[in-house]
Order: sequence, then C-alpha cells, then structure tokens
Amino acid sequence: MRLPSCLPIKRLLLLFFLRVLLISAFIGGVLQSASVSSKKPVSTAGQQVSSKDWKERTDPGQKELFRFDDSRVSMACTYTVVVYGTDRIQLPLIVNTAFEEIDRIDQLMSNYNPDSPLSQINREADKHTVVVEPELFDFIQLCLKYSRESDGAFDITVGPLMKSWGFYRGEGRIPWFFELWNVMRKVGYQRLILDSHDRTIQFSVSGMELDLGGIAKGYAVDRVISLLKEYGIQTGFVSAGGSTVYGLGAPPNRDGWEIRIRDPLAPNDAGRNGGTVHLKNRCLSIAGNYEKFFKVRGIKYSHIMDPHTGYPVQDMLSVAVLTDSGVDGDAVDDVLYVLGVEKSKAYLEKHPGIEAFFYLPNGDKQWKMVNLKD
Amino acid sequence: MPESQKSKGLSRRDFLKTSAVASASVAVAALGAPALINSQTLQDPVIYGFIGAGRQGNFHLKKLSVNRMGRCAVICDIYPPNLEQGVKTIGSNPDKELQDYRRVLDRKDIEAVFIVTPYHLHVPMVLDALSAGKHVFVEKVMMKEEDQIPKVFEAAQAHPNQVLQVGLQRRYSAIYNVATQMVHNGALGKVQFIRAQWHRNGSWKNPIKDQAFDRILNWRLYREYSGGLMAELGSHQVDVADWAYQSEPISVMGVGGLDYWKDDRDIYDNVSVIFEYPEGRKFVFTSICNNASLDFSETIMGDEGTLEITLGLNTAKATFYPEQKAPDAPTNVVKTANVQEQNWWAGATMKNRGRKIGVPILPNTPRKNPSFIEKEIMYAKKWLTEMGVLEVEKDRDAIAVEEEHFFHCIREGKKPIANVDIGAADSRSVIYANRAMDMKQKVFWPGKAEIPASSSEPKKV
Repeated sequence: MRLPSCLPIKRLLLLFFLRVLLISAFIGGVLQSASVSSKKPVSTAGQQVSSKDWKERTDPGQKELFRFDDSRVSMACTYTVVVYGTDRIQLPLIVNTAFEEIDRIDQLMSNYNPDSPLSQINREADKHTVVVEPELFDFIQLCLKYSRESDGAFDITVGPLMKSWGFYRGEGRIPWFFELWNVMRKVGYQRLILDSHDRTIQFSVSGMELDLGGIAKGYAVDRVISLLKEYGIQTGFVSAGGSTVYGLGAPPNRDGWEIRIRDPLAPNDAGRNGGTVHLKNRCLSIAGNYEKFFKVRGIKYSHIMDPHTGYPVQDMLSVAVLTDSGVDGDAVDDVLYVLGVEKSKAYLEKHPGIEAFFYLPNGDKQWKMVNLKD
Repeated sequence: MPESQKSKGLSRRDFLKTSAVASASVAVAALGAPALINSQTLQDPVIYGFIGAGRQGNFHLKKLSVNRMGRCAVICDIYPPNLEQGVKTIGSNPDKELQDYRRVLDRKDIEAVFIVTPYHLHVPMVLDALSAGKHVFVEKVMMKEEDQIPKVFEAAQAHPNQVLQVGLQRRYSAIYNVATQMVHNGALGKVQFIRAQWHRNGSWKNPIKDQAFDRILNWRLYREYSGGLMAELGSHQVDVADWAYQSEPISVMGVGGLDYWKDDRDIYDNVSVIFEYPEGRKFVFTSICNNASLDFSETIMGDEGTLEITLGLNTAKATFYPEQKAPDAPTNVVKTANVQEQNWWAGATMKNRGRKIGVPILPNTPRKNPSFIEKEIMYAKKWLTEMGVLEVEKDRDAIAVEEEHFFHCIREGKKPIANVDIGAADSRSVIYANRAMDMKQKVFWPGKAEIPASSSEPKKV
C-alpha cells in the first residue's frame, strides 16, 4: 500500500523541519567536541597540572620540538602520558607502547581480574606453593622490604581487612570486634612464605590475600618512565589517576613540571590548593583520606588501614611525598600516613632523599601543613 | 510450548542436548590438562633454547617462567634490548646468544628449541633444528613459500622421533575443543558458513629505539619478512575453519589493499578473503586496521545455532545462540488432518529470528556419559551463568597449555596435536589467500580446480 502523498507545502515544511533538526544536531556535536578539546587535561584524583604546562612551546634555535599527550583508563584510574620529542611520527607510537605497558602490569597485578597471576596466588597459595613469574616475585619481595623497613606500617596483606570494612564493595561498614579479631589473624606480611630460589610463594594462614593496589600504580609509572627513556624521550610526564605523578626533565622554558596539590578538605575545588611543587626527575605521590571513605556518626573512616590495629588511620587528612621513583612514593606515602608526623621523623632520617608534606586536621574546617625534609 | 515462550530462552531439553554434546568432548580429555598439571613436578625438565625474544617471544617466556617441565638454557636474539628483556622475563638466568642461532643448535645439552622469530625465518630454522636433532616448537605460520612445504615434510619424516609442533594455540584451548566438538556432533545443525574477523584500529607499528633495526622490529609490515594480516592474524582463524569443517579449503578468492596506513609498508591493511570448502561450505575472513569495534572472533553458523568463539589474552570464550526456525521453514513432515484448523490472523507482523539469548559454553566437561546429578548440576550452573549470577568458568591459557603439551610430547614420546599436517594446511591457506589477493584471481588447491560444468538449463516441471 502506498502512503498518501503529502501536499507540496507540507513536504517542504517537513524537509525544513528535518534540516533544522540535522543542523542543530551537528552544532550540538561540534559544541560538545569543542568543550572536550578545550578542557584542561586534569588528572582526576590528586593534583591538577597548571594549564601553562600543557601549551606547546618550541625553542626557535633548535630542531623543532613536538608535544603529544594521551590518556587512557587502566587499573581503575586514568593514566595520562605527555611526551616531548623531535620525531613527530614516533611520539604517538611511544605513548601507545607506554599504555600497553600499563595494561600489561594491570594484567599481572590486578586482583579484580580473575586471570591475573596475582589472583592465582590469592586463590591457590593457601593450599600449596605457587610458582610466580620473576617480575611479580621480585615486586612482592620489594613490597616486603618496605614492610620490614616500616615495621609493618606498609603491608600488602591488608586485603581481608579492606574487605571486612567494606571498601571492596564500595559500601563502608564497621566490622564487629570478633570479626576484626578473626580477620587480623589473616593480616601480616610475616605470614607470607617466600622461596626466592624456587620463586614460590605460600600463605601460612588460610584466607590471606595480597593487594598491590596501593603500589602497582607507582610501579606502572616507573615502568613508563624507563620506557620513555629507552626511546630517547628526555621530557615527559606521567600521571596515574593523579595520586602518583612523575615529571621527567622539564617542559620547554620551565624549571620543572608545576603540580598543584589538592586541598584535602576541598579536593574538587579548583580555586583552592594545598601548595605547588615543581617536579624534575621526581615523583609526587599522595595518600589522602578523601579518596575512599565513609562516615558513621560524624566520624570519617578512610581506606588507609593501620595494619597493627586493623582500624582506618585517624587524625590525618593527606600525605604527599616527593621521591625519586613511583614505587618509593606509593609505599612511603602510606607508611608516613600510618606512622604520623612524629614517628615519620625517625623513618625519614633512615631514608634520605624524601620530602614529605603532612596535612593535619586543624578544627573541622581547616588544615595545617607540616613539611619534613631529611 | 507456545512460540512466544520458546523465544524467551532455551528449553531445558535443548539445554541438555547442547551440554551433552559438549560433554562428549573427548578431545579435551586427550589434551589431558589435569594430567599435565601433575607432570609439572617432572624430575627431568626438558632443556631448551629459545630463539626470538620479541613481543610474542616474551609472551611465551612469561608463561614458561612458571613452567617447571622445562628449563631455558639459552635465549637468542640479534636485537640486544629484546635479548635482555627475554632474560629478565624468564628469570632463570639463561645464557645469552646475540650472534647466530646455529650456536644454540650446536649445543649438545639442548634438547628442544622454541622458534619465535619473524615469519621468513621459520622454515630455515626448523630445518636446521631438526637436522641438529632438536625437538622443535615453531610459531605459526610455519611455511612462507609453497616450495617449503615438501621440504619440511621430508625433514619431519627423516626425524620421526623429534617433536615438531606449530604454535596454533587454539588447538589447545578446552573451549575451542568443546566448540568444534559441538559442530562435529551436529549441535549447530548443518554448518555452511563461518565468518571470522580480526579488526584493529592502529598502525601495527612499534616505536623504534635504534634506526638500524627499524625494518627488523617492524618486520610484520614488510613482505620481505611477513605475510601481512592474513598470516599474522588470519592464520589462526582459517585453522579454526579447517578444524570445524574437518577439511582444507579447495579454493580462495580475495581483495586486499593498502588503503589507510599509507606509510612505507608494503603489506595490505584492508583484507577480505573468501575460502571455499567441499560441499559448498564457505569461510569469510576480514581484517582491517582502522576500526576495532568488532575486535576478533570466529562465528560458526548452522541452521540450528550459532557459535561465537574468541581467544582473549588469557582465556577463551564461547557463546551459543540457538537458531529459531522460521515457521515457514521447509518441512518434509505432512501432518495428519485430524487436527482442528486454527484461527488465522491477518495483518503483517515482524518477528526477530535467531540470536536471542546466548548460552556460555563452559570448559569443564567431566565425563562422556554424565550422570543424572551431573547433568542437573551442569544445567543449574549454565542457567546461573546465563542469569549473570555465576561467573563464566574460564579456560586455561592456551599458550601455557601448548607449551606444557610440547614438553609432555617430548618426554612421553607422543605426537603433538598441532602437528606438521595442521601447520602445512594452515600455511597453504595463508600462501594461497595472499596469492589470490596479489593476482586478483581465484586460487585453487592442487588438484581441486574443476572446470565448471556446462550451464545446464533448469529442468522444467
């Protein structure tokens, strides 16, 4: 059956209407994409990079310098990589290789992915010894070194604790006393049995779990930086969700990568910040109670656990540390966060080359900052 | 059951039919994954040399680093950073060989070699390794030129006690085994068509650290070393088609072009190929480099169901979609006329057919004749998986399994599953498909070219 034909005027009106629709959709699309491209590249969780850094600058006397940046989501956060170089064809390829490397580390160390070698350890190491591939084994050994040096303030076995406080499922709860007592039996780096000759790992208590979430990002940042160096990149920047950032070299005409630290009481307020640092071959890593937390009767419980007590650390808003590597930064910020200012002094004396900024609560609405240098 | 209800899901009987077929998978048992895990504790590991520590090489080395059935004695690569990376990945402190792979073959302590080098080096290295008395694992595709095929066969026959295995890892995936068994046992009905795609969005180019190694590190992009998309990606999928159809193709035609990445590469970046198998069965393969939305998978289509399978980074996944027969599908059954004529409806309706609800195919298929309880458990698990309550059970990583199987064959004197026949058939498909695209002509397998019968007039009724 044929449709009744429209009158010419009606058809014209219809065409006109369709055209208006199309044009408005097109304009909408353009506006949308324009708003995306004009957005400042902001790292999501910790800091914000000043817009000046993101402008391309070239030095006229030298070979033309190009800049390339890209972001990708991996390990449940947004990674941003910026590179400067003279070979414009190579830059995107190098950044792509960097993201592939991050994905590879995610594959290796994720405890969300049931196929990862880390998940395999968590599944099987309480039943029998598990042979671990060299890279992961070395990394776990390194984590244990941080645990020993901090007397357990940093601990990759807090997984069961995080679970019982509800941080894995994103619904915070305060565990019962006996529940906590039971869970604490499964926490403690001393309960891991490592055999470096056979490269095996075993749990001495059933129900233990390794969680590298706090430090894997730092490792990914370090791997990317060493990859960039391998490809001859001298100036670059890597951000892992903003909580671990590394500045390689300095952008043209600058002394370093200017990084603003988020205000721990107003982390999403671009108008306020907790200070500015310049990174040149240095890493800034931040542990903050605003990343994951819940409140019960006005008390804030954050995701950073004191492995000795089994309770979230109180009386600390955030700790930022400047270190030479991402792994160092991710471990040390947790250590200092748990230790508090006084005990941290002794730790920093033994570990030179680290600068720390403690953001402590000062009443309800304010914070005070303590800066410790070795 | 009313048609409307049927379309909402599989009936329980359909389900048992599928799962019973799946559980008939003997091939999975032949893979012997559990037995292989036991033999991980082998007292006498296979001492092997590893040639080619590039990206794929490191992928292998990573799996081998936790495999105690073998021990890596030496890694060989002419590019120093790769060699260093390989040594780091395996972690057992093997010797390094930077100059010549023949030095690896000369070593008396080495029993086996992994050849994970660029395509053009496969056959020369395989021939040298076999004549040096080594067991050989060679990455796919085995042969690059047609005249290499008889040479490899000859060498394999001359060294019958040496294992020669090709890296077509889908053959070692439990899920792929279940899937092909389903096809062979008729769970999909009559299969006339398989479609596979390997679509990516990227230049396929590696950044380079040293200009002197540019062409070597990006060897996949140059015909001198590479067979292009058909070889590097399509070879896996045409092997699945061979496996499902239980036959080699008889002809191939295709179109290839360098249409998007117009840099100095000389391989195609846009490939569409049609393989023809006996009895009119077809396999269509496409590969592109500027859109990744379809990613990669193989889709086997029969008149009773569709099976979509893919092998991810670590695990395989398969989904079965039962086909809904059209109500007007031809049937040979004439019903008796003693049923009361139903009321008819007038007015056109549209009905979606096929691809309603996918059923995940699970890898664990315990016994040939499952008991009533086992069947019930299997049914319950599949139902829960379909509902999203239970997580899909995963296959073991096929690359790790193929490596275990290689060592297993060496120690037990067995023949590999992915043997030289499978490797040669796969190579022929790649070589002929590339030839068809280059010559813009249909290419027939040897002895399969048929002069089309003179077009006869359709018979009048």
